[in-house]
Amino acid sequence: MRSSLFRASGVGLFIILLLAVFAGCSTIDCPVQNLVYTKYYLKKGDLTPDTLNGDTLTIFTVRRDGTDSIVLNQGTEIASYNLPISYTSPEDVFYYVMEIDSVIYVDTVWIKKDNFPHFESVDCNAAYFHKITDIRYTTHLIDSIVINNPNVNYDVNTEHFHIYFK
Amino acid sequence: MMSTPNTSTSISSRTVSLLILLIMVIGSAQAQKLFRLEKDSVPMLRGFQVSFDLFGAGMLMLSDYGQYEGAFRLNLHDQWFPIVEIGYGKADHHGDQATGISYKTSAPYFRAGVDFNLLKLKHQSNRLYGGFRYAFTSYKVDLWRENYEDPVWKWDTGFGMSGEQCSQHWLEAVFGIDAKVFGPLHLGWSVRYKRRLFHNDGNIGKTWYVPGYGIWGDTRLGGTFNLIVDI
Repeated sequence: MRSSLFRASGVGLFIILLLAVFAGCSTIDCPVQNLVYTKYYLKKGDLTPDTLNGDTLTIFTVRRDGTDSIVLNQGTEIASYNLPISYTSPEDVFYYVMEIDSVIYVDTVWIKKDNFPHFESVDCNAAYFHKITDIRYTTHLIDSIVINNPNVNYDVNTEHFHIYFK
Repeated sequence: MMSTPNTSTSISSRTVSLLILLIMVIGSAQAQKLFRLEKDSVPMLRGFQVSFDLFGAGMLMLSDYGQYEGAFRLNLHDQWFPIVEIGYGKADHHGDQATGISYKTSAPYFRAGVDFNLLKLKHQSNRLYGGFRYAFTSYKVDLWRENYEDPVWKWDTGFGMSGEQCSQHWLEAVFGIDAKVFGPLHLGWSVRYKRRLFHNDGNIGKTWYVPGYGIWGDTRLGGTFNLIVDI
């Protein structure tokens, strides 16, 4: 009886040591891609990709304290670009500036959205995901902007907007 | 164009199928021998056991999550042990040093299943168990992060959710021992391998600590150290 007890306890000790080894190997399982931003793709009228040929595009927004923040600085020959999206504002406003033949054109784009807090783990940074609900814009240099996919999250392959310049 | 099956894959899958069939036939004969109720004069109902998990309570005292858990186990002929485990799991992780996130939840949970005595000589005080559990919990999560500033617009946005309703169903494979110390008092260990079946994480994305299950995504292994009393 006593030897059986010792044998059983020995097995238990082995199991607990095994458990300690496995439990010690805890992992932090955060997504590698953990940035949330919007992707814009330039398109032609026939839906084929477009590129800014020779034109320089700058996009800025206005911060809480009223100062400007440039989010795309003098982009040339671009076929697509990424823009940040605010965590919790119901609407983001961007100003598109382009100089063509010494004339500066400025368009304003308003993006309405719903915001959802997203949690992975206490070890991973907090994030907000979004759903684009509407877009408005002035049309000095922009022809139109179409919402291609309204869901903004960690997926870097999503084309959120298709933008058509005049 | 018609696709032709890959020959090597086809042969190897057939071989594996045959091997599985063979193992099942041999295994089923062995299992019948192993799980057959012993024919002797020992009565079917041999009593009850109540137990308390000291490991979960220790975790709760030493870390920011853990559980209080008790169990009620029926002894059928020293072979089969239907069991119900009821516990109360808690997590209060306040202001993570790296991310600043706080996570709070507390809820009851239960597991139900059966253990089988794997020892050849079954009618003795010490036991070696193998078994399984089905488990369920329904819990609410409070989650927040203070001073969460938008990096571009510089608004202090805050981050948090309160009372998010979540639930989880899972299975556990159990392997354990139970050794008599003196009188009706036993001490026992169990190691568990857990697999989530269904879950509802509410609108928060993912959950972190699940009462009774532990940290989701951390490890699938768990364990208990039980103080057991024979009744």
